[in-house]
Amino acid sequence: MTKTVFNRRGFLKGSVAITGATLAMPSIARASSYPERNINVVIPTREGGGADRNFRAFSSIWKTKLGVDFEPGFFPGASGRVGYEVYMGKNDPDAYNLIFGNMGPEVLNWAMQAPSFNIDDYFYFGRVDTDPCALFVGAESNLQTMDDIIAEGKKRKLNVGTSRMAHPASIGLLSLGEVTGAQFNLIPLSGGKNTVAGAVTGEVDFSVLTSGSVIAAGDAVKTLLVFGENRVGDALDNAPSMNSVYGTDLPEMLSSRAFGIHKKAADDHPDRFETLTRTFKETFEDPALLEAYVAARGTPEYLNYGGVEDCAAFKAAMLELGAKYKALLSGA
Amino acid sequence: MGETALILSEVFLDVIGYWWVIIPTIFLGLIVGGIPGFSAANTIIILMPLTLAMDLQMGLVFMVTLYCAARMGAGIPAILVNIPGTAGAAATPLDGYPMAKQGKGQQALAISFVASSVGGLLTTIIALATMPILARVGFYMHSVEMIVVMLFGISLIASIAAQDMLKGLIAGFFGLMIGAIGTDVVYATPRGTFGFLELYDGVPLIPALVGLFAVSEAFIIIEKKVIIREDAEPKNPNWHDTFEGVRIAVSRWWHIGWTSLIGLVIGVIPGAGASIASFVAYQQSRTFSKTPEKYGTGHAEGLIAPESANNGVTSGTLVPLLVLGIPGGATAAIMLVVMQFHGVSFGPSLFESQPKIGYGMFMAMAVAYFLMILTILPLSRYMSHVTTIPTIYLAPLIISFTLVGGFVPREYMFDMYLALGFGVIGYIARRTGYHVAAILIGVILGPLLETYFLRALKKSDGDITTLFSSTIGNILWVALVISLVLPIFFDWRRKKRNGPEIVVQ
Repeated sequence: MTKTVFNRRGFLKGSVAITGATLAMPSIARASSYPERNINVVIPTREGGGADRNFRAFSSIWKTKLGVDFEPGFFPGASGRVGYEVYMGKNDPDAYNLIFGNMGPEVLNWAMQAPSFNIDDYFYFGRVDTDPCALFVGAESNLQTMDDIIAEGKKRKLNVGTSRMAHPASIGLLSLGEVTGAQFNLIPLSGGKNTVAGAVTGEVDFSVLTSGSVIAAGDAVKTLLVFGENRVGDALDNAPSMNSVYGTDLPEMLSSRAFGIHKKAADDHPDRFETLTRTFKETFEDPALLEAYVAARGTPEYLNYGGVEDCAAFKAAMLELGAKYKALLSGA
Repeated sequence: MGETALILSEVFLDVIGYWWVIIPTIFLGLIVGGIPGFSAANTIIILMPLTLAMDLQMGLVFMVTLYCAARMGAGIPAILVNIPGTAGAAATPLDGYPMAKQGKGQQALAISFVASSVGGLLTTIIALATMPILARVGFYMHSVEMIVVMLFGISLIASIAAQDMLKGLIAGFFGLMIGAIGTDVVYATPRGTFGFLELYDGVPLIPALVGLFAVSEAFIIIEKKVIIREDAEPKNPNWHDTFEGVRIAVSRWWHIGWTSLIGLVIGVIPGAGASIASFVAYQQSRTFSKTPEKYGTGHAEGLIAPESANNGVTSGTLVPLLVLGIPGGATAAIMLVVMQFHGVSFGPSLFESQPKIGYGMFMAMAVAYFLMILTILPLSRYMSHVTTIPTIYLAPLIISFTLVGGFVPREYMFDMYLALGFGVIGYIARRTGYHVAAILIGVILGPLLETYFLRALKKSDGDITTLFSSTIGNILWVALVISLVLPIFFDWRRKKRNGPEIVVQ
């Protein structure tokens, strides 16, 4: 029996051979594969917020399908404009750079004021969730039903809190005013926290906001109407949808987070784009996604797969509604 | 009542059992509070995985302690090297730093620690006892009333301008103009952004703060050997200065009490914060002082007022969070997220469904403040050494730290350049006799005033008389006028009283 001696020379030889093989292997094995490295994701909001939590939950499963990790970069400011400008202006269109945005309020921005890039030069390809906007009052408000609101809104102009003027919730409210004849005066309260506080403390008569934030406010508020489908029932006080009550055909007014990509990247690298869309869909089919979403304190009912066509339709609807209400939302 | 007392005693025993969490967290809080750009809020975000892994009560004790300690920590560099760690400590160097320059850094730290701890402890107890009443404050303080509160703070510019009226007012208006940069709060129309997207949300506070105060100060001190004035008596660190600081602070217990109450009341208003409270408290303290001329020269009461007030805010922000489910500030908002992760539902029913959580947060705050004074006070002796470090080492350190601090909140290189730009503006202002504090008041309070003003106008469809449409608002208007007229009256009376003496001499 031959005895193997493990000496210094042997160790060095072995190390060199293993290192060389290790370095060579990925390029041999994955010469034409995508992705070869981690994917950068621009997030146009602050770290630690809802988009961050949502992104981390989703990417924790998606990365197992793609075989590489996602590296988020946070670029908050100017209602998301900074992040989009950075993405379109500084990131290479090579399918290694994506953006994780909110198709509702962020697309409405473009209708109010065009960005420096052509908005058709990027598109959303994967919708993660749909969080409908809702109308709610403070627990101590005198207005406790929609009938109260409509009746009072016909007597005087009601002040209504909104996160910011160019927001899907604002459009929902303006549509409600059109259909009921009630008068509403939108008051931008700078963010969801202040919008809830405005309704609770009586700074405004009531508020409109994405329902995730309304649910988080607990029993300090009461939801009366949803500008979309109420998928969570009691968590939103079983509030009905606007279309069902008032017979309107308003598209769902949503906060809807989705992954976007440079159009040039999808055109130049169709194979890479196909990998992204396929694995994105596979992620939705994995039961682990629901667990990750629940663990991140997301509302699982709002997880809602959408492909390129769904996203394009929503983007177009937002742009159209934004153009329609531009004068009211921008003061122009 | 008996049941509440039982719950409180149980909660106290539970919280004190976490001393091993509280004490290290105090030091962590002091460090993150002292570094510009860091804060309790972003530290809790960074450490969120750790916080979420803790059990509910431990996580609660950790976050509350970090919050209080960071607030106190922000005052340390403000006093020693003129770097307020956060906007809430922006009024602290007005009198803290002159004390440090006079060689009384150790004394100033002791005063600040006592004022912060006692102010924080006192307001925590008051908040605990009067929570249902305090929670109602937000129901009466809307945009119209907040306009007047802002004007209390902004009127400090006039006090500063009193020393050189023209230059003070120019500096104040310059600050207000800088504060107007960014998109307007109603229609988001960009103004004065010079095409920089980074300015769309307004001039970021931390780069402005560190630039105007710290970077400009570094440019100034580099011309000297050490921070303390050459005519200041060099001292070896000794316990006497610490005890003297404690004595000065304790002898002004009443001052600590009422200025911390200003912080508490402003803290319970959603959206208001420590920066407003500290400026308003400083302005009020100066207004009712018998020696207003000493403010800005290293006067103990000028240091006590902002430090008590900004620690009063910490307990104030918890009130709307716990009672209404509305976080009063950024840190409270993150606490809300963490607590919701643990299944706690805030709001009116919290004290019925989970009383130990509600009372526990206040108890954790009280215990943290108590342990803080015991752990940090002895350190003042060593911390004050900073003022004797040769400026050839200190100035580059200040610039490096502050530039990193300017970068941290948004992680934009642009913000580092902005801090440098503000440093140059601050340096020119100091060299030409313009008060940087007046500029900063405009930068900090100007956008808030504009927000409330435009909101009030939007609510009333542009009717300017809305400013006088609320009873509480009108009472505040009268109080504002009184607080502006009183110093003039006191000054007139003092001159009148001193008049005959001068004649006799």
